[in-house]
Amino acid sequence: MKQARLVRSIVVYAILIVWSLYLFFPLYWLFIAAFKTQLDFSRYATYLPWVDFTPSIKPFVTVFGGTGMDATSPFKNSIVIALGSSIIALILGSMAGYALARYDFRAGRIRNEHIILFLITQRMFPVAVLAVPYLLMFRELNLLDTQLGMIIGELAFATPFVAWLVRDFFAGLPREIDESALIDGCSRLQVLRYIAFPLGAPGLVAAFILVFIGSWNDYFLALVLTFSQGITVPLFIQMQSSLVTGVTPWANIAVITLVSILPPVIAGLALQRYITRGLTLGAVK
Amino acid sequence: MEVPVAIRPAGQEPVDASLATKSAPAASPFSRLARATALSDQQYKWVLLLPAIVVIFLLAIFPMAFAFVVTFTNWDLYLVDPPKFIGLDQWIRVLTDIGFLIPARNTIVFAAGAVTFEFLVGLIVALALNNCGRGRTFFRIAFLLPLMVSPVAVAFIMGRTMFDPSVGPAHDILVSLGMMPIPWLIDSFWAMITLIIVDSWGGTAFMILMLTAGLQSLPQEPSEAAKVDGASEWQNLRYVTLPLLAPVMVTAVLIRSLDAFKVVDIIATITGGGPGNATESLTLRVYNIAVRGGDVSYGATAGYGLVIIMTVFTVLYLLATRSSVSAAIGRER
Repeated sequence: MKQARLVRSIVVYAILIVWSLYLFFPLYWLFIAAFKTQLDFSRYATYLPWVDFTPSIKPFVTVFGGTGMDATSPFKNSIVIALGSSIIALILGSMAGYALARYDFRAGRIRNEHIILFLITQRMFPVAVLAVPYLLMFRELNLLDTQLGMIIGELAFATPFVAWLVRDFFAGLPREIDESALIDGCSRLQVLRYIAFPLGAPGLVAAFILVFIGSWNDYFLALVLTFSQGITVPLFIQMQSSLVTGVTPWANIAVITLVSILPPVIAGLALQRYITRGLTLGAVK
Repeated sequence: MEVPVAIRPAGQEPVDASLATKSAPAASPFSRLARATALSDQQYKWVLLLPAIVVIFLLAIFPMAFAFVVTFTNWDLYLVDPPKFIGLDQWIRVLTDIGFLIPARNTIVFAAGAVTFEFLVGLIVALALNNCGRGRTFFRIAFLLPLMVSPVAVAFIMGRTMFDPSVGPAHDILVSLGMMPIPWLIDSFWAMITLIIVDSWGGTAFMILMLTAGLQSLPQEPSEAAKVDGASEWQNLRYVTLPLLAPVMVTAVLIRSLDAFKVVDIIATITGGGPGNATESLTLRVYNIAVRGGDVSYGATAGYGLVIIMTVFTVLYLLATRSSVSAAIGRER
């Protein structure tokens, strides 16, 4: 019996450690790659700093010191687009999510649950279908290759997701709190301001972080809507690493990639307690 | 904290105004705004919902309908002739075009391979995580990490630098072990395998998250009862835990599959669809046709082709799993 338990422990930890290695090796590889020079990439694989290559901060200087490849404009675009679209989506989506949790809607045969189901199906819908109409619409509105165009485009995915997640969160808070405040004479706006949104803050923060990560990491919309001034970091990384002519600037791309994964990773890990339900799309309680 | 139970339905004003404004300062800008606009509670609900509905209508429903209309035209951005309605020509073209059918096959092969691999590995890791005592919190949080990293970044780190045919570790380690080097990105079969491996870094993390959460929400009684009845640990897993987990597995595989059908970022970064078009996905094809090639009508039709493939998959999948899920639950009863 005791032996069986020991065997089980060994198997369990062996699986967990193997998976952890698979998980962390690429991150380690990226981290050391950011301190390699272009020459270190061209000869043979090198694994340990100071043992088989000498770490250098030259790539950081090249990327952010303005002495070569300029990544500041994609970073600015990504920050403006991700923050802008997440904030607008949070405002519009949390209003709708609150309304869906607290009121009964009827329009013909449509009820609340139909609207809620529709919101979450937007998350599954293939963006490939939207590529053509977006290209045509945004071209007509002169929004191609602009930050504003990208913010508007991202709203299509962020708004329904926030509304769905916030509705889900408020559905878990007792209705009676809001109703007693209304009976005490609060207006609905006062209920929102002083009761619902403070109580719902964890849900709102989770929704904001998730749509921020989604927008920050999004690639396809930027591929369709931007090409030079408006490009975002993921598109920049992809473009630089698939240059047809010349040598791929590995070291510089590694620096950009390393810096670009920090905001979502830090935000996501710091708030992981709140975002799990959103990540599983409510499939698990 | 005691919460007073509402007697009146929400939305009616209290009769006695002197009871009002205990919980909120009276002169805040919000109350002033509320008084100035003076909407009833039933009107507020539409004020709250409609902005989001308008955004979704303008950015999702209208563009989809517009794209559907475009599939019946011959709109080409690089031609000067104004677009004309040409009936079903684009749809017939899709069904016979090797440039659509090969990416369709690639997409299905990729989704099937990636989701199968991610599900099996995810299930094993989730079961290990569920049985782990010390260090569980660390592993659980660490395993969430890939969900925050952008697929393009993963594709660059793994697909481009680690699977590099001359200086990547995937090449280097095989050679130093004295094995034949594998033509990772050059051969069409191995290029697809590389894409599935890279996708599994993030995709398995999703499976682990879903299945771990599912395992934790399972009731304890059935497995304890089985233990009392003398079931071995393996029997307990096979006949109690996994059948109970079936509904979560079905959902996880469905969500992950629909995401895998939409794959574009890692393919664009690692192979660009190559070698030839052996790894080109449908979404990448739509981009190549419509945005680079300017043939927006055909691009829209190919995009709808992907919608149809995903819809058919979802319907068949739900029909196939409904019986197996209910059978699994039924066996427990």
